[in-house]
Amino acid sequence: MLPAFFILIGTHTFGLPFWLAAILGGVATLILLGLAFKKVMVDPMIHHGVLPLVIATIGLAILMKEAVREFYGADAWPFPALWATTDVTLFGAVFAVQSLLILATCIVVVGALQLFLAGTLTGRCMQAAAQNPAVARLLGIRVERMILYTFLINAALVWIAALLVTPIYLAKFTNGEILGLYAFIAALIGGFNQVRGAIVGGLLLGVIDNFCAVYVSSSYRMAVPLLVLIAVILVRPQGLLGRVEERTV
Amino acid sequence: MAAAELLKFENVVAGYGKETILHGLSFAVPRGAMTTVIGPNGAGKSTAFKAAFGMLAVRSGRILFEDREITNRAPRELIGEGICYVPQGRNIFPELSVLHNLEFGGVAAPKGTDLKARIEAVMDRFAVLRRKARHQASTLSGGEQKILEIARGLLLQPRLMLIDEPSIGLSPLLVEELFALLRELRKGGITLLMIEQNAKRALENSDYGVVLELGRMRLQDSARAILSDPRIGQLFLGGGLSA
Ligand SMILES: Nc1ncnc2c1ncn2[C@@H]1O[C@H](COP(=O)(O)OP(=O)(O)O)[C@@H](O)[C@H]1O
Ligand SMILES: [Mg+2]
Repeated sequence: MLPAFFILIGTHTFGLPFWLAAILGGVATLILLGLAFKKVMVDPMIHHGVLPLVIATIGLAILMKEAVREFYGADAWPFPALWATTDVTLFGAVFAVQSLLILATCIVVVGALQLFLAGTLTGRCMQAAAQNPAVARLLGIRVERMILYTFLINAALVWIAALLVTPIYLAKFTNGEILGLYAFIAALIGGFNQVRGAIVGGLLLGVIDNFCAVYVSSSYRMAVPLLVLIAVILVRPQGLLGRVEERTV
Repeated sequence: MAAAELLKFENVVAGYGKETILHGLSFAVPRGAMTTVIGPNGAGKSTAFKAAFGMLAVRSGRILFEDREITNRAPRELIGEGICYVPQGRNIFPELSVLHNLEFGGVAAPKGTDLKARIEAVMDRFAVLRRKARHQASTLSGGEQKILEIARGLLLQPRLMLIDEPSIGLSPLLVEELFALLRELRKGGITLLMIEQNAKRALENSDYGVVLELGRMRLQDSARAILSDPRIGQLFLGGGLSA
């Protein structure tokens, strides 16, 4: 949600061309949601445990949401698309070019991320810092820096997601919420500790959701992800593709 | 001439939160030798290692390495000084490959270090690591995992290795092999400081012994002298000596 409004501020308030606003919005996202979020919120709070941090993050999300509503109002703002908003017919089915673009970008970005995390020493150091920070530290891995990289990558992904999704959902102060909830459920269904899991969960959820809307009832649509989630958690608590994690005591 | 001691604890006080565990711990680690730290459970042996390796704040006192103060310096700097630390338990990344785990030993290497060659050399030395280089580290047995941790530490050619209860969970035969490996490292010039529950076995393989109790040094002597000290036999060696 936030990167979309950064970009809108660029085009509306400063009259920048869209491409420049998009780049500057990306930089602002990296600095504010990446660097500043880590330095101002996470670093001072992480010593008090994860739960206070989660609560503080939820608080921050509410603050940002309400701030956007305060300054931009509750209306949905149109947002330019990166690509044509037309449909194409492939194998007899109609696809929105937008959706195909999102899917393709998703595959490329996730592939690149996987390649980076598994295929480079820095990526593996990030994995090590996440899996066992104490051991990572005693090997001389700069754990703090790895965490910062994680936040920056995270911010970059948010920016990409905003560019892709906002033209469809329009820029609205509640954007993050519903999508975030869906994404969270998708990750739980697919398996939280696996990127593949989140994607499979997302696709599965999307397909089930649409079939239900067409063949069952569109008014119960919002309940479907939750029902799927309950079913999966009962049968496979680690998610469809998730691995059971061992915790050393 | 360099001092006879490589590492020295001087009145070290450290602990967790409000609790003080090390109450003015002093002892010295002779250069080029293998020294075993023994003492009852909870004596503060592991705590002393953590304090030396910058994993736990030292509240007062000093720790010296090569006569230079290293008190409260970060692990990464201590690695640079030539210290490596192999903690108790399992300290590998089970989901990564054996080779990628090994590679982490070189993360703190100074620029220009030929890590490829060193990894090759270490894998020449430990055939099992080469054989299973591409396997997930979780597929290694307990003994192989310890070897991986030691090999990872050797990558930067340390001068001092701190190793905490390496024999835990290993069969007697593997324990013998492990001690033989440690003796070999000592011969190669690495000073070893080891914590062991299996005190008798460990001391038999060591040059010196240090006895810790309640966060203080109770006795420091040659391993042989400690082994034959009747008080120690009663206190820590669990009757193993009299048998
Ligand atoms: N992370 C920790 N937090 C709090 N207390 C600890 C921690 N680790 C060890 N202790 C306590 O410090 C004391 C010494 O522990 P330790 O140094 O591990 O003993 P050992 O000589 O058996 O290695 C014990 O009483 C233990 O309960
Ligand atoms: Mg211990």
